[in-house]
Amino acid sequence: MIKNTLLSAVAVTALSTAAHAQAACPIKVGVLHSLSGSMAISETTLRDVMQMLVAEQNAKGGVLGCELEAVVVDPASDWPLFAELTRQLLTVDEVDVIFGAWTSVSRKALLPVLEELNGLFFYPVQYEGQESSRNVFYTGAAPNQQAIPAVDYFIDELGVESFALLGTDYVYPRTTNAILESYLLSKGIAPEDIFVNYTPFGHADWSTIVSDVVGLGAGGKQVGVISTINGDANVGFYTELAAQGVSADDIPVVAFSVGEEELSGLDTSRLVGHLAAWNYFMSADTPENEAFITAWHEFIGSTDRVTNDPMEAHYIGFNMWVNAVEAAGTTDVDAVREAMWGQEFPNLTGGMAVMNTNHHLSKPVLIGEIRADGQFDIISQTPEVPGEAWSPFLAESATWTSDWKELGCGMFDTATDTCVQLTSNY
Amino acid sequence: MLRQLCALALIWPLILGPAFGQDQSETPLQDVLQTVQAEVANPSRATVPVVLRALLAADAPGTVDFMRAWSDREVYERPADGLFFYAQPAGGALTLIDIDSGAEAGEVGTRDVNQIRPNAGVRREIGAALVAFELSHPDPDRRIAALDAAARSPDPDQITAIEAARAEEDDPAIAARMDRLIALLNARFAQDSTLRVEAITALRGDVSTPARSVLNQLLQTRTDFAESLPEDINLARIKTPGEDMPLAAAYDALVSAGLAPAAPGRNAIRDALRANVVDGAVGGVPVHQLDNDASRIIAYQALEDAGTVPPLVTEADMAGTVAQYVFFDAYLEPDAAVTTAAADARAATTTKVALFQFLSLSFDALSLGSIFFLAAIGLAITFGVMRVINMAHGEFIMMGAYTGYVVQTIIPNYTASLAVALPLAFAVTFLAGVVMERLVIRHLYTRPLETLLATFGISIALQQLAKNIFGTQARPLTAPDWLAGAIQVNDLVSVAAVRVGIFVMAGMFLLLLLYILNRTRLGLEVRAVTQNPGMAASMGINPDRINMLTFGLGSGIAGVAGVAIGLVAQVTSEMGANYIVQSFMTVVVGGVGSVFGTLAGAALIGSLQKGIEWFNPANTLAAQTYMVLFIILFIQFRPKGIVALKGRAAGD
Repeated sequence: MIKNTLLSAVAVTALSTAAHAQAACPIKVGVLHSLSGSMAISETTLRDVMQMLVAEQNAKGGVLGCELEAVVVDPASDWPLFAELTRQLLTVDEVDVIFGAWTSVSRKALLPVLEELNGLFFYPVQYEGQESSRNVFYTGAAPNQQAIPAVDYFIDELGVESFALLGTDYVYPRTTNAILESYLLSKGIAPEDIFVNYTPFGHADWSTIVSDVVGLGAGGKQVGVISTINGDANVGFYTELAAQGVSADDIPVVAFSVGEEELSGLDTSRLVGHLAAWNYFMSADTPENEAFITAWHEFIGSTDRVTNDPMEAHYIGFNMWVNAVEAAGTTDVDAVREAMWGQEFPNLTGGMAVMNTNHHLSKPVLIGEIRADGQFDIISQTPEVPGEAWSPFLAESATWTSDWKELGCGMFDTATDTCVQLTSNY
Repeated sequence: MLRQLCALALIWPLILGPAFGQDQSETPLQDVLQTVQAEVANPSRATVPVVLRALLAADAPGTVDFMRAWSDREVYERPADGLFFYAQPAGGALTLIDIDSGAEAGEVGTRDVNQIRPNAGVRREIGAALVAFELSHPDPDRRIAALDAAARSPDPDQITAIEAARAEEDDPAIAARMDRLIALLNARFAQDSTLRVEAITALRGDVSTPARSVLNQLLQTRTDFAESLPEDINLARIKTPGEDMPLAAAYDALVSAGLAPAAPGRNAIRDALRANVVDGAVGGVPVHQLDNDASRIIAYQALEDAGTVPPLVTEADMAGTVAQYVFFDAYLEPDAAVTTAAADARAATTTKVALFQFLSLSFDALSLGSIFFLAAIGLAITFGVMRVINMAHGEFIMMGAYTGYVVQTIIPNYTASLAVALPLAFAVTFLAGVVMERLVIRHLYTRPLETLLATFGISIALQQLAKNIFGTQARPLTAPDWLAGAIQVNDLVSVAAVRVGIFVMAGMFLLLLLYILNRTRLGLEVRAVTQNPGMAASMGINPDRINMLTFGLGSGIAGVAGVAIGLVAQVTSEMGANYIVQSFMTVVVGGVGSVFGTLAGAALIGSLQKGIEWFNPANTLAAQTYMVLFIILFIQFRPKGIVALKGRAAGD
């Protein structure tokens, strides 16, 4: 009898650990960042940050008394693979939360799987907005937390009246520029003072475009460039700016995709004074940031490595998730999701980040000037700005809002008082 | 920091001498600053004039130095008491320095004080305020910087300051710049109308950006309307709604001025109809017929006649209302003599500007063509002469570029590293080409499809290899300083020096290749082997060896091209893939097998791309699409390319 009970007890324990791994220890954290292919350099850093955060949390005693375990997979910069691996993480590895993705196209690819399987996902990169999924928390900037304040800065502080919107030809620059164009028109900028240009990925021949921008100066108005140029093409663009002797005093350039990491390979002495808008800069002088940088350098084993905005986004997202799990007392997705609303966590740049019910963060917007050493001088820091899922400056989304707590809907039309749709298959 | 402070201390008497020799107030600077504490601590473009006025009015000792330090981000605020300090770094901390006495005021951590960082807009204002002081600075660079600052924020007050400095100026170059700036400022701000007109007339035919910018500023207009044309405006032109401006825009202007009822939009019409459905019909029109605009308007007009809805404003109504008013553009500048002179001066530059823009575009096209030529010329040998479809050609370009990058990390002097990188890149890619020829291509000479697949595979493998070694972040190849600037003809035409360098290099390679192919034994043998390998072999030529060397030569040139391309663009593992399609297009369009054909092809594709870009500047991607389309059409009509080989050399 005793023997039987013992045996069945052992069997039950074995079964439960096998079948209900997600309810029991360890708590699994999926990390879905490309470790090979074209996005590897950006995303590998985020994988490292996640491993560092998980290790730090374990050193503090884990979560709910459980050890955390990072489950790292490599989607190899292959967008359909993001969807496949999301399915694998949720059904095979049975992770409790996923941190990952960089490009918008990879996020769009995995959304349907995530919503079908009711996963929990943290997306750390600045993006074009126009999305609010039930299952995603967006810890990067929406356009109103990066692009709009940067344009305000151009108009108010630099007196820019003539705008060149230069971008790489894909969804983020196109949507951002559409929002900005409509915003600029609403600010009284004449349509002929807005010059828009799209170039392919990796574009190298910038001489004509830079000449065109310089030529805008003949109109007698202060010219400014808003750059959504992404990736490698920035090298050629900034080289050409320097070659044509365009100084930041004459034509300032504000970039939304150029951070410490991107500048690390460039000769920045000729770029001094050009700008970038982010929610975080490595040069922020706060105790939190100093501790974060020290921990990062220790973890990665090199003091040359820089920190950047998406890393801070993961830092905030991960800590909020930990606190939400502690608050909910479980890793159950729906309970954690509800506990996430209103979560607060200190930014590395000072102030408090708050997770809103539209699944976007409130955080400060920083504008930095490039220094000769490849870091940024923070010259403007706004109070916390709540992220907008839907831009009021695009006709289609002007009346839409997102509120998962009160309205239970991510795409709610306030004009007709109806929920347009619940899934994010757009 | 220390050095800067020392320099400041040295020049102190010089600045204070002329500017502040007279009666200075005894209020310490710190007290003056405290009256505008918030504006100094958090400067913005809107508030900086307040500070500047307060500072210049109080004229406390050290004001100018403070303004410079403030602008250079060397001023710190102590939040505890709001006092301002200069500071010197002391280890990880800062030694505060009293603004008035220059005495040390204790050591603090960097987080205990706020470094004040005025943005570029604020710095521009401070710079403009400092112009008068800086123009008499002994350092010519500072005087030039002051002139730049004055040019960036033009201001009528600067005229006298610059004229005063001009009288003292010894340096002829700076004096010339001062004269020019005075002329530009006079054109915009001079009090005397004749002086202005004179200054403006002097700008006739001046294509420089500042001159055109002044003219355009003088000619800025506003659109307005009135019941009859006002007398007191400087009229630019009268506008006819419907011709010069859209009728709807003119009507909207009246609506927003409250002079006309707003026209209901389509949604408003729909809502009005929806609200007035009576017995399944609106205004007598059954609801099921209301599926088009025409019947909706009929229904709406029926409602309007009944007086239930606001009037529908038709096109004719709009025209009627608008006709009661005069629409016109008026110059912001009230003086008609000035605007006439400015319009005349601007018209005189128009043709010149167009001409120079065309010239600039031609230079761009030439530069792009020379890059395409460099990228394609190696292919012209391997594909054009040997008929090997080498999809890994782009990766040889990449290999050359990475060679340049590696050399640059080892040899810090950019000129020396470039001198080493060019031959080394040739050597590396020559070897790579030879190895590839020996291991793969040699076995596939008679099977073009397999060659294509094999080399495509090699290209993917090489890309991944580069990613594994160098990472995917773009690596820059920095040009030496003598290649870094631009050759500036005028403000419209300027060519980056590095592009001129590439152009020269492309020319050199053209000559070298022609020489090798036509004047050397190797060239003779290459031509013999490609025309008839069997016959060549029976003449004592070793075709194996010649094929190997030819392939190596083509690959080696690709490597050198990689270094050149890396200087203008970026070095990434995928850069080769960006050029492979263009290279094949260049060779095919130019004519397979001919070096001159490649040259013609590169020139055609380069100028074509720039031409299309000029027509459609908003979308560079579209330009490339149209170009490919054109090339497909071109190949239809001239399948053998621009320079078609004839006779036995044609091979088929």
